[in-house]
Amino acid sequence: MKRLLSIALSTLLLSFSLSVQAVSSAQDSIKNSVEDSKGTFSINYVPKRIVVLELSFVDALAAVGVSPVGIADDKDPERILKEIRKEISDWTSVGTRSQPSLETIAALKPDLIIADISRHEGVYADLQKIAPTLILPSRRATYEENLHATAIIGKAIGKDKEMQARLKKHAQIMAEFAKQLPEGKEVQFGVARDDALFLHTADSYAGGVIRALGLKNANTGRSDDAYRQTSLEQFLAVNPDYFIVGNYVTPSIVDKWKNEPLWSVLKAAKNHHIYSVNPNTWSRCRGIISAETMGQDLIKVFNTNK
Amino acid sequence: MATRSLPILLLALLGLLVANLMFGAVSIPFKSILEGFQVGNANYFTVHEYRFPRTILAMLVGAMMALAGALVQGVIRNPLASPDVLGVSHGAGLAAVFYMTFFPDADIRWLPAVALIGSLIAALMLWWLCGQHSSTIKLAITGVALAALYASCIDFLMLVKPLEINNALLWLTGSLWGRGWNQLSMLLPWLLLIPFALWLAKPLNLIHLGDDSAISLGIKANKLRLASLAIAVGLTASCVAICGPIGFLGLVAPHLTRKLVGGRHQILLPSTMLVGAILLLLADLVARTIDPPIELPAGIMTAIIGAPYFLWLLLRTK
Repeated sequence: MKRLLSIALSTLLLSFSLSVQAVSSAQDSIKNSVEDSKGTFSINYVPKRIVVLELSFVDALAAVGVSPVGIADDKDPERILKEIRKEISDWTSVGTRSQPSLETIAALKPDLIIADISRHEGVYADLQKIAPTLILPSRRATYEENLHATAIIGKAIGKDKEMQARLKKHAQIMAEFAKQLPEGKEVQFGVARDDALFLHTADSYAGGVIRALGLKNANTGRSDDAYRQTSLEQFLAVNPDYFIVGNYVTPSIVDKWKNEPLWSVLKAAKNHHIYSVNPNTWSRCRGIISAETMGQDLIKVFNTNK
Repeated sequence: MATRSLPILLLALLGLLVANLMFGAVSIPFKSILEGFQVGNANYFTVHEYRFPRTILAMLVGAMMALAGALVQGVIRNPLASPDVLGVSHGAGLAAVFYMTFFPDADIRWLPAVALIGSLIAALMLWWLCGQHSSTIKLAITGVALAALYASCIDFLMLVKPLEINNALLWLTGSLWGRGWNQLSMLLPWLLLIPFALWLAKPLNLIHLGDDSAISLGIKANKLRLASLAIAVGLTASCVAICGPIGFLGLVAPHLTRKLVGGRHQILLPSTMLVGAILLLLADLVARTIDPPIELPAGIMTAIIGAPYFLWLLLRTK
């Protein structure tokens, strides 16, 4: 009985101290605490001036109608998808994604910075001196990691409910798209430059989107790389049913290959299943809005085919 | 000649130091800069946390790389010599690229240490191949060959793992972006090498008379050579570890200085440090202000300024 009493008492004490803590944190109005790539990140206000250092984070903010004040857009507004530019108001460029100008970021007086763990880990400490910095995977992130990062951003900016709803809608849209697409068809995406073709493998962002839409990734051999540079002969070994190409330049290497005899042996070339898409959407942007745009692109591809 | 040049160089250095604090993506008037050093000021981050350490770092790295260049040129007695012929910066580059391609998730903070180890291994490799008693020309050629070997390994790695090319290329051009107090504190211990280098000035003059004369004048030619090269390796390795291999600085700065103050090492060595500091400060200032908010790597600027000047110099001297 005594023991029971002491347990009851200590539980009471504990709950009391907890409630004291709850009150004190409630005084900080709201507290948004999330896990980012460097541990726990928390702020106790709704950020109003957000600077983002990768394009996928713009996508995440636009998805819940938040406009960043600064974007590392490589000083080229066209880097942001048309669909996303429509959603957000004017922003200031803070330079390149690889070396954003910390002075410009500081001058914008942000109250939140969203950085990429792969690109900006070296300046994480400096960014933190400017404003609380949320650091998440973007550059080498898969589709699933990107969705996870998007949810974290929603929570950190105090729009958890809106973001969860948007993600649910995204899942529905993707499922809807998947229904309109033939199941299990083999689709391979690649980015073509002047002198090289890079296949985006099953581990890449585009590869994840293709799977999410109920299609199949082509077997690109080695599985440890997200992007794989491919010669014409190696490409013939991959030999996908459908080939989606994003040309960074025209004419790209794929245009040159079209005149080679080997090219005509490709399944995709024989059946005229080669389509060109915006490489910015498919390779650089990485986010739910761009994934939906990619889905629409694929539906167009398979509809013209019928 | 020297007495006329030194005040001008000092003034130029001072002017550039102030300009580096004032200009960038945002211009700050001179008066506000002093206020920017106070905690809580609106410009505190930009001035105290960002531009000031970066400016000091540019000054020190420029000075150290130029000094290393002057030492190597003094010892190898070849106008084309520079720390690059020792293969040190390529060794650092190889280690850094290896680290970035095979451990992309590893902490970026270890990069300077990895690069430093790479450059020191490259120096030991050269030492092991050449030994103490080989001629300077053999040393230079071996160094160039090793540098070419490392460079081809770097190319190979970047071709095999194209995904990480961007990060690696950025590092390989040499940049001061994102370098601050941390990097500055890493560099500080290496400043100890500077007094040793300056102490070698007098014997370095004598070695220019040829080994035989120098030896008869009481100079231990081999030991001097070893000491100078070791110091040059230390200076270059520490700078490259922090900023990446900033091209042409170690080659151009000593030449430019020799034009201004002559070849006496007592004056040449301190002056070349001034010139190196001025060149890198200028390069970084231009790199930051030419197209804000885009930041170009300072290494590109030194190459753009350095290469044409060097060609002009070669054509003129024949």
